[in-house]
Amino acid sequence: MMTASANTKPNAPTAAAATAGAGAGARPRRLPLAGVGRRIGSVLVWVGLAALVVAVLYPLLWMVFSSFKDNREVFDSPWGLPSQLRWGNFAKAGSAGVVRYFTNSVLVTSASILTTVLISAWAAYGLVRQRIIGGGLVLGLLLGGLMLAPTVALIPLFNLLQQLRIFDTYWALIVLYTAFRIPFTTFLIRAYMIDLSPEVDEAAKLDGCTPAQTFWRIILPMCRPILVSAALLQALFAWNEFVFALVFISNGDLKTLPVGLMDMQSRLLTDWPVQFAGLTMAAIPMIVLFLIGQRQFLRGLTDGIGK
Amino acid sequence: MHVLNRWRSWVWVLPALALLLVFVYYPIVENLRLSLYSWNAFSAHPVFVGLDNYKTAAEDPIFWRALRNNTVFAVTSLVFQVGFSLVLAAVLEEFVHQRLRGILRTIYFIPAVISITVAGILFSFLYNPQIGLLNRALGALGLVSWQHSWLGEPGTAMWSIIAMSQWQSIGYTAILFVVAIQRVPREFYEAARIDGAGRIRSFFAITVPMVREMTTLITILTISGAFLVFNEVMVMTAGGPSNSSQVLGTWLYRNAFLNDDMGYASAIATVIFFITLLIGASQIYLSRRRRIEW
Amino acid sequence: MRSLTRVGASLAAVVTAVALAACGTPSTATTSGKQANLSTPKEKKGTLTMVTKFADPKYAPYFVDVTKAYEAANPGVKIQLEQVGDQPYKDKIRVLSASKKLPDIYFSWAGDFANKFVRANLAADLTSVIGPDTEWGKTFAPAALKAFQTNGKYYGVPIDLDAKYMAYNKKAFAKAGIANPPDSLETLLDDCGKLKSAGYTPIALGNQYGWPAIHYMTQLNAYAVKPDTLSKDYNPATGAFTDPGYVTALTQFQSIVKQCATPQANGLSHEAAQANFLNGKAAMHYLESLEFLALTTKGGASKDLADNWSFFKLPASSSSPGDTKALTGAPDGFMVNAQSENAALAVDFLKFMTNAQNAQKLTADIGWLSPVQGSATSSNSFPQLQEALTDMGKASQFAIWLDTVTNADVANAYLSGVEGLINGATTPQQVIKGVQDAAAKAKKQVG
Repeated sequence: MMTASANTKPNAPTAAAATAGAGAGARPRRLPLAGVGRRIGSVLVWVGLAALVVAVLYPLLWMVFSSFKDNREVFDSPWGLPSQLRWGNFAKAGSAGVVRYFTNSVLVTSASILTTVLISAWAAYGLVRQRIIGGGLVLGLLLGGLMLAPTVALIPLFNLLQQLRIFDTYWALIVLYTAFRIPFTTFLIRAYMIDLSPEVDEAAKLDGCTPAQTFWRIILPMCRPILVSAALLQALFAWNEFVFALVFISNGDLKTLPVGLMDMQSRLLTDWPVQFAGLTMAAIPMIVLFLIGQRQFLRGLTDGIGK
Repeated sequence: MHVLNRWRSWVWVLPALALLLVFVYYPIVENLRLSLYSWNAFSAHPVFVGLDNYKTAAEDPIFWRALRNNTVFAVTSLVFQVGFSLVLAAVLEEFVHQRLRGILRTIYFIPAVISITVAGILFSFLYNPQIGLLNRALGALGLVSWQHSWLGEPGTAMWSIIAMSQWQSIGYTAILFVVAIQRVPREFYEAARIDGAGRIRSFFAITVPMVREMTTLITILTISGAFLVFNEVMVMTAGGPSNSSQVLGTWLYRNAFLNDDMGYASAIATVIFFITLLIGASQIYLSRRRRIEW
Repeated sequence: MRSLTRVGASLAAVVTAVALAACGTPSTATTSGKQANLSTPKEKKGTLTMVTKFADPKYAPYFVDVTKAYEAANPGVKIQLEQVGDQPYKDKIRVLSASKKLPDIYFSWAGDFANKFVRANLAADLTSVIGPDTEWGKTFAPAALKAFQTNGKYYGVPIDLDAKYMAYNKKAFAKAGIANPPDSLETLLDDCGKLKSAGYTPIALGNQYGWPAIHYMTQLNAYAVKPDTLSKDYNPATGAFTDPGYVTALTQFQSIVKQCATPQANGLSHEAAQANFLNGKAAMHYLESLEFLALTTKGGASKDLADNWSFFKLPASSSSPGDTKALTGAPDGFMVNAQSENAALAVDFLKFMTNAQNAQKLTADIGWLSPVQGSATSSNSFPQLQEALTDMGKASQFAIWLDTVTNADVANAYLSGVEGLINGATTPQQVIKGVQDAAAKAKKQVG
């Protein structure tokens, strides 16, 4: 299964092998008492691992701390803890747009998850179970669609969306996020459906179900695990998408988080603590969600990357 | 009757296909056509100019610099996200005790869940010569001469962006490798240990060849990501200073929406199209060949 | 199954319609020659859209207040005001005009930036209402109106008067033993040395977005190149940039950067650099009179600074062939969308915005000088603002911002070239070569 979609940066999905590792335990692993060289080696490794932890966490902690400071503290004691918790910075960032952007992102992301997953599952079932004239061609088009990059389509889409009168609306993003992710999502779900036993369909047919009824009542519930993975990967894509959101939304009230934050940066200028507060507000929910749902993340990731 | 039924089954693929054709395929083809015109946001009539826009690209030093920056981005990302990540994954699996291993993996992965924009803005603050931690840290270590206006100098801007991108992605690719390493049967390592192989030797003799498939996949994802990079650069430098951190994506954007040259922007888009096509084709080729080898 | 087929068929129909609709020529702004009707509407009703570049929280409230006041006075009118930052505005307005979503009223800088809209027939000809002989036109300073004049027609409503000055900290100057503000470029460079020895950054410069350096170049070009040559070169149809004065100006800027400016200026935003002047670490800062408010206690400056600053015009070199009385600056303004159904209402609103009361409010609230005559008084402004107004009166002409007066290609060549100059990566000769190439390209496009 080939799922490297050309239109997403690899950065999103997930972690989590964190939990899977737990099962693999019970391996003998004691440092054999070897020479001094080996000990120095392992000290170096530990120092490296610790340094990486600092490199990863410190910028994030700095962000959180700075969002409680005032401008003077940001300058004068960059390393220190904030002298007091200035929640006002968050209120300011919220009213400067972060809350609005957040809502927009949630809206666009959820809508595109729904459309993408349903349309893709529908198509995948058709491709797997129904004999379709030109089915090979359809598969070919889907495969080709995996390789096409959003940036390439930018300027023609600019015209197209205006002619459809959805330029500068939520629809522009929802439609595009769906269209560009259908190839990937369809392949993902199709691979899962291929492994389902055809007997299920036969049985349904005998019970008098039409193919559509079979799909809604039987196949979809059976595919739940892969649908969750597909939804997760779509969420990560839509939540972070930038190019389309930058060009096709110009109304400040409709902007999604990635573009809105950049916008806010150009408005707030040197009001550093409020900017940090805005970043923190955008980052924390994602980190918390990740910490809670690590297991799902892992499965989504392994599904997404192919096996 | 039978044939009609089979046509009816197009109902299944029609929604997907329609969206794909209208919003993905049509724009790509249309882009090829548009790249032969000269027009901008203000001009009334697009003028057909043939291949002029491509000629402009060939003669445009910034276009070549952008292409070079994408390449540098790709190569550096390969070193870190394939080379370094694999080592990190192996170290995590082989050196670290279970519980701690889980915690470390979680920590390393965190940057990948915050969006590129957040990471980009955060790093632009980190690099800021006034409030940024980087210069302060260097100052504290007595390395004043190493201090830079990181995003403000042509020599360091691109590298600073690349560094941010590595910060964000290493944990992610490392986790992918961890997953692959966990699929390697334990017995292989046991056998190697009995044969007296050390950790480093088993890494090269077992881990590297056994995760080859994942390596190919990550390599391709990394390269295509590097040629499509846009968000990071737009947020941190928008291509400056002096266009030193321009990449194909931002140069396209700039020409379309700031330099009033949509036709030229379309030509750049075509170049991106062929690059991604090449990468996609090589991916298919590699995954096919692997299947045959099996 | 049958109903599904029907859904499929209608979907197919929609798709075909979409595909057909999309197959037109590349989208462009529609050009119709119709002349908008600008006479005051009998019944004031409708929704006006307006986009400004004044999202900065210091300035944004003024525009909100004025639109609210107009809505209150005219209950039938709703104004959708959108304010974006200075930098994003430059691409936003292009996206809006390319997508035919240009608002009824939009911000514009003077120069080729405005002319682009005029050429595309997106700017309404306001001569009949704001021409110098009209009732409304007479309320403005003539020079401000002229900044938006093209081919004898008037297209813009000036909203502010803006000029670039070097603000200096009097205490710092005293501490460095400098008695008078410099009257020539050479003296300025000398003074920088003295300020450095006294422990100051002589000039706070933050050039992250490129335009702050361009403002120096605007002034230095005006000094170093004869006015006729300058206006010929700034016109995209005739630009050549072969005069040796351009290299001289770049070399002068290079000296300012080396001897005076904040190191690593490209990595700092203008506002971050300004913070250095505000906290007394830098002795000078080149800024627009529109920003003067930031240097007062009302604008958030410490009393220590607010009571101890003054300003001077960036001095010319003692041997300058150009116009040494030219002053960098220009009024900013609003234009009315020529395609707008609400053009008349838009004009009515702009009249409201520039009436005597709102003009005085502009000065009182956000410290801007209004082009409306007699709007700055000692009661609503601070001394430096009035001095600036007097000084602007002495200027022979406004040198309009280099990045908006020239066309986009030349402006970009200058922007990236001068950034390179600050880093020491390029030489003045290389910069001007890039500018010449861009001018040649622009000439080809216009002609």
